[in-house]
Amino acid sequence: MAKKILIVDDDPDLVEAVTMILESKKYDVAAAYGGIEGLQKAKTEKPDLIVLDVMMPDKDGYTVCKELKSDPHLGKIPVLLLTAVVSKISTTRYTQQMGMETEADDYIDKPVEPEVLVKRIEALLAK
Amino acid sequence: MPNQANILVIDDEQIMRDGCSRILSKDGWSIICAENGNQGLEEIKGRPEQMDVILLDLMMPGMSGMEVLDHIRTFDPNLLVIVITGYATVESAVEAMKKGAYDFIPKPFTPDQLRIVVRRALERRTLQKETEFLRREREKSLRDIATEKSKIKTIINCMGDGVLVCDRDSCIVLSNPAASRMLKAPETCLLGNYLNQCNLPQDLSHTIEESLQTKDMSHTSVSQELSVGEPGEIFLRAHTAPVRNDIGEIMGSVTVLQDISHLKELDKMKSEFIAMVTHELRAPIAAVEQQLTVILNKMAGEVTEKQEQLLSRAKERTRGLLDLIKDLLDLSKIEAGKMVQYKEPLCLQEVIQRVVDLMRSEAENKKLDLQFSSPPKISLIHADRNSMEGIFTNLISNAIKYTPEGGKVWVHLGEEGGFVKANVSDTGIGIEKEDLPRIFDKFYRVKTKETRQIVGTGLGLSIVKSIVAAHLGSISVESEVGTGTTFTIFLPKESVPKLNE
Repeated sequence: MAKKILIVDDDPDLVEAVTMILESKKYDVAAAYGGIEGLQKAKTEKPDLIVLDVMMPDKDGYTVCKELKSDPHLGKIPVLLLTAVVSKISTTRYTQQMGMETEADDYIDKPVEPEVLVKRIEALLAK
Repeated sequence: MPNQANILVIDDEQIMRDGCSRILSKDGWSIICAENGNQGLEEIKGRPEQMDVILLDLMMPGMSGMEVLDHIRTFDPNLLVIVITGYATVESAVEAMKKGAYDFIPKPFTPDQLRIVVRRALERRTLQKETEFLRREREKSLRDIATEKSKIKTIINCMGDGVLVCDRDSCIVLSNPAASRMLKAPETCLLGNYLNQCNLPQDLSHTIEESLQTKDMSHTSVSQELSVGEPGEIFLRAHTAPVRNDIGEIMGSVTVLQDISHLKELDKMKSEFIAMVTHELRAPIAAVEQQLTVILNKMAGEVTEKQEQLLSRAKERTRGLLDLIKDLLDLSKIEAGKMVQYKEPLCLQEVIQRVVDLMRSEAENKKLDLQFSSPPKISLIHADRNSMEGIFTNLISNAIKYTPEGGKVWVHLGEEGGFVKANVSDTGIGIEKEDLPRIFDKFYRVKTKETRQIVGTGLGLSIVKSIVAAHLGSISVESEVGTGTTFTIFLPKESVPKLNE
């Protein structure tokens, strides 16, 4: 059975593009267009993995991730954080800080190269 | 002065006038003679200040000497009058002295007696003049000081910056309206009050007390930021310095306050603007690039070769925009001093090795020989790791970009004096002499036939320069067109802590 991935991002264009990448790799894809909707869909859709944007107006990715991880039913779902790298020079520091500040399982910069995204997802699902 | 003295002789006897003239002019004094009281007074009237000594005969027909003396006193009570008394009438001499005469000389007198009396009077006259001169000087100085005080007071009161002056007992002895406004305390609450009575921000009182008690002679001034009133209402920057006397004792303190609320406001706006740019500008470009990526990966159907070519170029352009945004944000952070806050002892050799390893595939793609050489042991520097990676990534990637296929790029690390020195050299196209001074400028890109195809934001080298500067280092460049370019960076070695520390 195909694994189901929930994409949470307030930018519908980005959701669509990522959906196309994942569908081409035969994943089942569900979409949510905001943090609150993302939390609801995580409960109803029971995805195998969540791709989560950071900057969202209603509830940001860090908060959503925290709430997911503290939920006894949803805590085990791997979360891949979609980040916008703010600075070219401080990439390493940024990722170091990200790793400390969030409970996400992995993070990836957007825009993403399809093969990179798929590789990361496969790695998380294999865990 | 005695030699230029004017001596007026008032006597009705020709023989006396001539005698006195003869005796006194020998000493170089100039003698004016008058044969009666009226004539004498006429001589004095126009120029009392020029009459140094007056010799006055008491017994004269017409106006008597006593009367003349009275008149002289009305011109100037300080005029020195020596009365000449006939037949040693002590009574009249005493009377004349009471009326203000300086001295007397009884007739008949010898030339020497006359000289002694006159000379004594002239000495007195000299002292009088000096005293008068000093009195005027003092008056003038006092006036100058008063004017100066009033001037300084006006300056201090008109200043936009607040001023607080404390004496060494922590009592406020001077404050200006700006200080009252900034500290939200009326003058009466400041002036004449002790620090602990006037409800100043605690940090400020503390700093002032400290500067009053400092034993350290090199203690000059302390700057601090303060918040006054409602949270976020007024932000002040305060500079406090002790005032010392000529032997270095602390006599008090001066605090200058600046209202930096508007700067804080601007800073906040800038941060918000940067956050806005980061998200509002980046997000749509990232989405566009994501869409292009999907199409280019043929996930939205087949793509013709021409379409693929166009879309690839479009993607390069969005990538360029995203790089530009990142560079701008880096630059604004470095300029705000927020970029290089994580300094640590760092081995530049490791940093460069890592960057060289990462860049190797890029160099190999262009068939370039990329080399790194360093002595086995190199001094540590005190630097921010990410910034250092940024510098060398930038310089090496530039070298690769601007070096034609088959060329060579090499990095050499060494030491020179108190500095670690790094060279990044290439056998690239080089930089024209007239472009060299400007290559570190923001957005400056050398435009030639060769560089047209090379993408870049024009910010890389100015970021590199800013980082080097933030590490108290220096960067320079040497280049020859068609031969190659070498960038040289000096970074100060980490200061080795002393053993007893």
